[in-house]
Amino acid sequence: MIFIDISRPPSDFLAKKRKGGKAGLWQSIALLLLALGIATIVGVAGVWVLQLFTPQVPVYVGLVFGLLALVLVLQYIAQRFEWIMPWYYLLPALIFLFTFTVFPVVLTIFLAFTDYAGIRNGELSVSTETAIVAVDGQQLTIDNARTLNCDALQGSRKGCNNVRAVVYASGRFATQGISLEDNILTVEPAPPAGRNVTAVELLLPDFGFRAQIPVTAVEGNRLTLGRSPPGEISLEDISLTLDRISIERRILSLEDNTLTINVPLPTDLEYVAIARYNDFGYIGAANFNTIIRQANRALWPVFRWNIIFAVSTIIINTIIGVFIAVLLNNPNLRFRNLYRTLLIVPWALPAIITIQVWRGFLNTNFGAINRVLALLDLPTLNWLGDPLYAKLAVLLVNLWLGLPFVMTATLGALSAIPKDIYEAVKIDGASAWQSFWGVTAPLLRTALIPITLTGFAFNFNNFNIIFLLTDGGPPVDWGTATARGTDILISWAYNESFRAQGGYAYGLGSAISILIFIITLGVSLVNFRVTGALKEESNT
Amino acid sequence: MMRLVPRFLGIISLLAVAAAAMAQSETTRFVTIPYGWLKFLIAFVLITGGIALAAYLYGRFTRPGKALQYAGTAATHMFIWLAILLTFYPVIYLLAVSLNRNNSITAALPTTGNVLFRSGVLPDPSKFSLIQYQTVLGETNLFWYQWVLIGVFILALVAMIALFVAQRGGFDPYRLERWRTYTGWVLFLSVGVLVLSITADQFYTINEAGERVRSSSERKIVLFIRNTLLVSGLTGIFAVLISTTAGYAFARMKFEGRYQTLLTFVFIQMFPGFMALVAIFFLMNALDLLNSYIGLILAYSGGAISFASWIFKGYLESISPSLEEAALVDGTTRWGAFWRIILPISIPMLLFIFLLQFIGTYSEFILANVLLTGEDKWTVGIALRSFTFNRFNTQWGLLAASAVLGSLPILAIFYSFQGALTGQHQAGGVKG
Repeated sequence: MIFIDISRPPSDFLAKKRKGGKAGLWQSIALLLLALGIATIVGVAGVWVLQLFTPQVPVYVGLVFGLLALVLVLQYIAQRFEWIMPWYYLLPALIFLFTFTVFPVVLTIFLAFTDYAGIRNGELSVSTETAIVAVDGQQLTIDNARTLNCDALQGSRKGCNNVRAVVYASGRFATQGISLEDNILTVEPAPPAGRNVTAVELLLPDFGFRAQIPVTAVEGNRLTLGRSPPGEISLEDISLTLDRISIERRILSLEDNTLTINVPLPTDLEYVAIARYNDFGYIGAANFNTIIRQANRALWPVFRWNIIFAVSTIIINTIIGVFIAVLLNNPNLRFRNLYRTLLIVPWALPAIITIQVWRGFLNTNFGAINRVLALLDLPTLNWLGDPLYAKLAVLLVNLWLGLPFVMTATLGALSAIPKDIYEAVKIDGASAWQSFWGVTAPLLRTALIPITLTGFAFNFNNFNIIFLLTDGGPPVDWGTATARGTDILISWAYNESFRAQGGYAYGLGSAISILIFIITLGVSLVNFRVTGALKEESNT
Repeated sequence: MMRLVPRFLGIISLLAVAAAAMAQSETTRFVTIPYGWLKFLIAFVLITGGIALAAYLYGRFTRPGKALQYAGTAATHMFIWLAILLTFYPVIYLLAVSLNRNNSITAALPTTGNVLFRSGVLPDPSKFSLIQYQTVLGETNLFWYQWVLIGVFILALVAMIALFVAQRGGFDPYRLERWRTYTGWVLFLSVGVLVLSITADQFYTINEAGERVRSSSERKIVLFIRNTLLVSGLTGIFAVLISTTAGYAFARMKFEGRYQTLLTFVFIQMFPGFMALVAIFFLMNALDLLNSYIGLILAYSGGAISFASWIFKGYLESISPSLEEAALVDGTTRWGAFWRIILPISIPMLLFIFLLQFIGTYSEFILANVLLTGEDKWTVGIALRSFTFNRFNTQWGLLAASAVLGSLPILAIFYSFQGALTGQHQAGGVKG
């Protein structure tokens, strides 16, 4: 006899027999990581192989290779371990989250402890190329140590110590000619195999000088010249120019004009020049020390204004937004839907555009706002040029921008309050005023708290309004070049990282970003606690 | 915290008064009505009071019990209109500037006429002109098929409005719904093909010598709008594609690690996008994706996923699983149930996620500013900033015309889907 437990959902019986071991969290993650690892290897190898043939291939082509490999590997895994299926639904999202959110955040934390900057961006610095005068084992004598510009790297290390460099070997190869027919020159000895010959230098006895002629093809000891020489040549004295070879080395030390490198150079080449990399390195907590050292001029004023801005903009917007929403919530008010539609317009326009237009309205001498103020016989203000009024301008424009959201959210919360409560208190003899403060206000407060907290977190990092309206300005004498009158933490970090006056100090910018993250995380945790958004999930 | 509010407002008003004293000498070049604020205030109070009184008297004679309520409602109307005036003044002023011949913000004011125009509070109406729009649009050289696409788009738009009117007129809503879907697709596809087909090479003039001269950035607003639509559209599509399967797995599947993964998603959402800016720059530099839309779109989509999956999960949990279960009993696979049942019934929700992402991306500035360096790749926001910053003299009229044109797509979308965008946003917000 077969018993069927009817309390179980039908899907339980449909689930096929699971094969391939246990369906644990760690097993799933391990399998996914394995698949991703294989895909990464295939992607990197694919690009590497392609670049051997065509060096111009962009690196992101590797993503395509990786993706192909990933699909194949996943197909195989799904056949062996069927319980992995739910993870496949999550995989695209997980990959994106980790590549473009988690990985950058981890990288940011790493960069915060380095001196990564515009002049230390990890790339080869072509302008530091200096001629090599002599080579003696690991010792190189260079022409001019100042061109190598090691002072620019000061920060994580002493000058050029332990910096990667490229030594260029060029190419002069003395040989003798055997014959010249039209534009085919045969030489002996032949140029070294595997190196390109770019040009040939010939002595022209008729003219008494040396001429350079490009070489278009090399075949053993037969060179095809770009054009035939203008006259007789001296076959005894021929010099070939070979292409540059670059050899990577690390500079151990530099004293006067003598460089020491970590590994001796091959002896069969002639070395002409050296250039260094813009290396960046680990500097410990130095970025945080810099922030703390100038805290009185940057961190504290910026942080204080950041808090004042976020708190007061929320308070102002909420008070006025709730006021208008309560007015609009009056069921006896005709055209209330029309009014709501009209008042919502700042929300319907892209803020990135309206903020910049507001910048024109706030022009001190010709802006619309000052003209209105003047017409009404009110004082005109230097909106963007004075730190105090610039702050006021930010709050006003943010009120214009943010009012529709608060208003709509409040209207939503108001419409969710059951009508029979009002009827009940009315029967109990409460006036309209009493029913507002006794019923509406407390119920509204519960609904408004999460909106307020979200608004705080949003405005705390509201880069657009600061950057596009005041650009952080005006400059103030108590601030720095990067932390000015209305700069908040996030625009300060931007100025440090992406602007000339901050010296493109990405490391320092990352350090500020970490401070921002800690604060945002705190606010968000409070928000979750208040709204209980995650509580119901942990029970399921 | 609430106790600080009056103190704060008090400080602000005190400061404003102090500023008044300091700035008084500066006001000479402005047109001023002596005691204008007092006159305005008195006029407003008198008019409001008059209307309220009229309403009260009307109520007194028709329904005496409601007379006070009538007066209150009348006064409320007046307050709302004041708020609408304050909200709309910048919008109207911007529109008026874009329709004015003066390109410079410093242009001389008229000396006669209404005080509003003499003071420059509104631009001079006698200088009305379409020259700003002609300038910013004039160097756009469209191919014939792009004109056809624009024609199709306009026809579909008219059809859409006609369908909307027909629904008001009481036609069968089900048949109209089908036609609306078709028209919507035509609209979407015509814009899509148009956006994909416009290139930077189409912006030029031909000089006397018969050579093509590439347009300056002020005259390429169509290209910048196209770029922004492309980036926002692809980001929206990408975010939807990637987050639907994740939302489905969270809502409907039981597996080890579901809660932990969900938690990861939520916490990752808290990282401010800016926090990773330096590193994204670093990453895109390493991948050779600087100044390319692929890089920008990938970075945007990465930031959108957790929010989009969270919303979709919430939506799926709100609908009953019985439909899928029936299909599973009938022998469909999980993927089949997802593809043939879940996706079709969630199209409105997917559209909503797409639009939310679209609007958000349209207004994004910082990442685009850092990653897109070439002028031909600029989005609207970056282009407008280049008009105003680091310039000796802002071309105010051209800026206004570009701002109006750049706002139109979002304005149209917002008001077409107003209910969904304002209502659902808040439902999603309350849930987390």
